Amino acid sequence: MISPAAAYRNLLLFVLPALAVYLVFAVLPLATSIVMSFFQTSGASGDTFVGFANYVRLFTHPTISARFWNALLNNMQYFAIHLIVEVPMGLLLAALLTSGKLARSEGIYRTLLFIPATLSVVIVGFVWRLIINPLWGLVGFPLLGTESTALTTISLMSVWQYFGIPMVFLYSALLAVPNELVEAANIDGAGGWTTFWKIKFPLIAPQFGLIAILTYIWTFNGFDLVFALNGSAPGPNYSTDILGTYFYRTFFGSSGQLADLDLGSAVATVIFLTVLLVTAAYFWLIQRRLKSYSV
Amino acid sequence: MRSINVSVPLAATLGVMFAGGVGAAFADPVTITLNSWRTEDIAVWQDTILPAFEAKHPDIKVEFAPINTNEYNAAIQSQIEGGAGGDLITCRPFDVNREWIKRGYFESLEGLPGLANFDKTSRAAWSGADDKAYCLPVAAVLAGFYYNADIFKELGLKVPTTSAEFIDVLQAIKKDGRYTPLAYGAAESWQLAYNGLYSIGPAYWKGEEGRLGLIDGKKKLTDPEFVDAIAAFAAWKPFLPAGQESLNYADMTQLFTLGKAAILPDGSWDINQVTSTNLNVGVFGPPVPKAGDKRYLQEMPDMGIGINAKSTHKEAAKTFLDWVAGPEFQELYVNAAPGFFAMSSKPVTYKNKLAQDFADLKKGAELTPRLALDRLSAGTPPLDDETWRLLQVMFTKSDVTPQQVATELQAGLASWYGPQKK
Repeated sequence: MISPAAAYRNLLLFVLPALAVYLVFAVLPLATSIVMSFFQTSGASGDTFVGFANYVRLFTHPTISARFWNALLNNMQYFAIHLIVEVPMGLLLAALLTSGKLARSEGIYRTLLFIPATLSVVIVGFVWRLIINPLWGLVGFPLLGTESTALTTISLMSVWQYFGIPMVFLYSALLAVPNELVEAANIDGAGGWTTFWKIKFPLIAPQFGLIAILTYIWTFNGFDLVFALNGSAPGPNYSTDILGTYFYRTFFGSSGQLADLDLGSAVATVIFLTVLLVTAAYFWLIQRRLKSYSV
Repeated sequence: MRSINVSVPLAATLGVMFAGGVGAAFADPVTITLNSWRTEDIAVWQDTILPAFEAKHPDIKVEFAPINTNEYNAAIQSQIEGGAGGDLITCRPFDVNREWIKRGYFESLEGLPGLANFDKTSRAAWSGADDKAYCLPVAAVLAGFYYNADIFKELGLKVPTTSAEFIDVLQAIKKDGRYTPLAYGAAESWQLAYNGLYSIGPAYWKGEEGRLGLIDGKKKLTDPEFVDAIAAFAAWKPFLPAGQESLNYADMTQLFTLGKAAILPDGSWDINQVTSTNLNVGVFGPPVPKAGDKRYLQEMPDMGIGINAKSTHKEAAKTFLDWVAGPEFQELYVNAAPGFFAMSSKPVTYKNKLAQDFADLKKGAELTPRLALDRLSAGTPPLDDETWRLLQVMFTKSDVTPQQVATELQAGLASWYGPQKK
């Protein structure tokens, strides 16, 4: 017999390797960057505690704060486009895949549709840039070079890449809908349309909350596609700047700009809190209640 | 030259072998490391430059340790402030380096004999507030216009020397209709400043006179010479390819190397790229406003090397820098990395023809670095970043005038830069 104490000890032992990696590579850097955001680490006098001075600068300096708010607003738009386009697309494709209409080619379509999500962003950015290149591409209009269209264009490239993810979430949820329910509905005279909206959709509804919050986390930690396409000062006129690129520019500097590690840490902390608070609120307020509706 | 290169190390080696036999025991060679952002230069240093140095100084081994360009500033800052970093640090020009000097990253180089090979202007990009030298100038880059000589010949065009001739040439190419006059676009804002405005502008603001005038507050960006320069740059717009707003640097170069465009405004670092398709390429300098005006050329100090103040091998590092200051290194480096130019006052021969053509443009021209990188970008908003942004706005929107660009640039600068406040 294993005593409860020993069981816990074993449990801890099994968790330890993953926990150690997590602590060293995730928690520790996060904590140090939060600590750093309260210090002035550059300068002759060494590290000095400056309280909220870095944050005050971030939110009150005319240029620094204007760029920050601009990046935050752009990021919200980036998130909104993902949510509005990606989720219905994922739902439509998942519904088609599980409709039985595709018969034996279902597997092929499922794989093909998921392939973009496995590609490197650098490749996605490069290929799309060529496709919409006014010089040798299909579109004569400079989509990426016009302030009003650039962010939407990049968002849609990202949507193209990642719609497979909500699709597989919804696909597996649809597969999990018990057949008896669908058959019962059919016997009661419900057609495909009614069955989908009245039986299947309510059963997969909890997935939407999860997809929304994951999309939120991904887009607010987004960086790579914008950086691959437009570098760390994404134009025109910072119209494609999002929080990730704003952070990168601040923290790492550039050939003509000093790296501001302290202000960069403050930006990182603000991004972290933006993601953490919304995610926590979501899990606290919504996800717990949704659970009771699922099968 | 080659025979000397070979025989000197040989003689040295033989000499050391005999001396070793007599008794003086070999000291273990000192190893010093050199940090750089030029990851692409690793082969140049390891296979060509460092062996040449080590052959002369067998007691010193140099290790080339590059850091990813984009992370270079942050990496150096955190390493040095943590008491680490290489013995030798490659220095960014002007403001970044001035701040690094202020933070005490570098050992002063005063007294290094090799410094005498560089004049004051060449050293300016790396001197501190105390006017002392902290990094040794290594290489500069130039900006100008590559042109497709075959297209010029076909259309019977002459290389333009004045702004009016330049526009005439562009007009003629446009009228002919087969080629794009300028392979140029606005997607990458840095090159609007570096290869555009900062290249043709000095002819209007009179190079150093205008640049230093901004620095000491005697001139403003809203002064007519700066507005005229911005307007001369805006005059390129009708000659750009359709959809130029989203054309990036690679697209521009490609348009030119495929022989579809006649002129490419670009930097000297792109020499290998523009000749990669064996086009007949020539180069000309920025046009002057009126015939007979003085010529100006952008020479941007790009790289210096300094000694880490916390290095434990400062003597070895100085020996290395003294060699870097000499003609042997200069010639090795500029020929191994075409597009980079020596800053030393000693003459250097370039084996690459286009590089030599570029170097010839320096003759009779006043050299001036990029407008906004010295002091004017050490605050927020940095003038350089603002220039990138506003030129891009001017090229992507039809209703923004040169005057508006100048006004907004001046307002940004005056918001933090002491000499411009008032």
